[in-house]
Amino acid sequence: MRSAARETYGLATLEATLMIAMLVPLLFAILEFGSALERWLSQDAATIQAARYAGEVGGDSPEVRGLLADQLRGSGIDPSAVTVEIVPPRVGWREPVRVSVTSQHAIAIPFLFSTTLPLRSSAIGRGEVNR
Amino acid sequence: MVRDDAGMAAVTTAVLLPLLALVLAGVLQLGALRVSAARVRAAADLAALIAVNDQDDAALARTGELRLSSDAADVARDFFARELELSAPLLAAPPAEIAGGAEIVVYPAAPATDPRTGARYEHPTLRIAAQVPLRSPAFGVLALAPVTVVDVLAVSSPR
Repeated sequence: MRSAARETYGLATLEATLMIAMLVPLLFAILEFGSALERWLSQDAATIQAARYAGEVGGDSPEVRGLLADQLRGSGIDPSAVTVEIVPPRVGWREPVRVSVTSQHAIAIPFLFSTTLPLRSSAIGRGEVNR
Repeated sequence: MVRDDAGMAAVTTAVLLPLLALVLAGVLQLGALRVSAARVRAAADLAALIAVNDQDDAALARTGELRLSSDAADVARDFFARELELSAPLLAAPPAEIAGGAEIVVYPAAPATDPRTGARYEHPTLRIAAQVPLRSPAFGVLALAPVTVVDVLAVSSPR
């Protein structure tokens, strides 16, 4: 009888360990990917603002990059860790200007893997400066 | 009796695991769809803003009133396609086709009432309405539609 009880106790521990090993990665996958998607949305919004402003001021300028950095910082993204591309750097009246922002988001799922996801955002503005 | 229960939790977990994995796939797909939907709505908003920013300068100088440019609808459609092109992998149809099928209406005189939405515009207005098909492959695995159609509405007026 004591032997059966000891055997059951050991099995319960083993089962709990197995369940944790399977359920914890699921929970962390939801949390980590949710966090990545939220960050992607914030980065998209900041990129759109920057594209509009780039059109207003006629292309790449410290003001545009400053606005983008402020927007990213406000969303919890480190501006120094993102790659920003504004093409063309000088835009004329009615010409399109594209702002692209790329950042890396680290994802760690216990017992499974950890990796970095590239988050890319782009938006196109239209030049409003008549040179 | 004790022996009968032994291992049941492990069996239950093993049986439930595929189900939980499917639920996880569904949750992640919903999140991805939210991002995709936000992107296409932002694309329409930006296209509408760009189109109304380009005003009829001659009319402004002559009358002092803000009026939309005569090519505002074409500009909106062109930039809607350009913005959608940036999110092409998320779309279930070519961006040019989606933009081409969008209902873009210019209300050059105000006040005006939009028959589609019932909204009353107090300034010259441009409105974009489109149905954008988005890829949702995980929903396909879950025996749901692999394409989710999002309704997009963007309205902008010169100020």
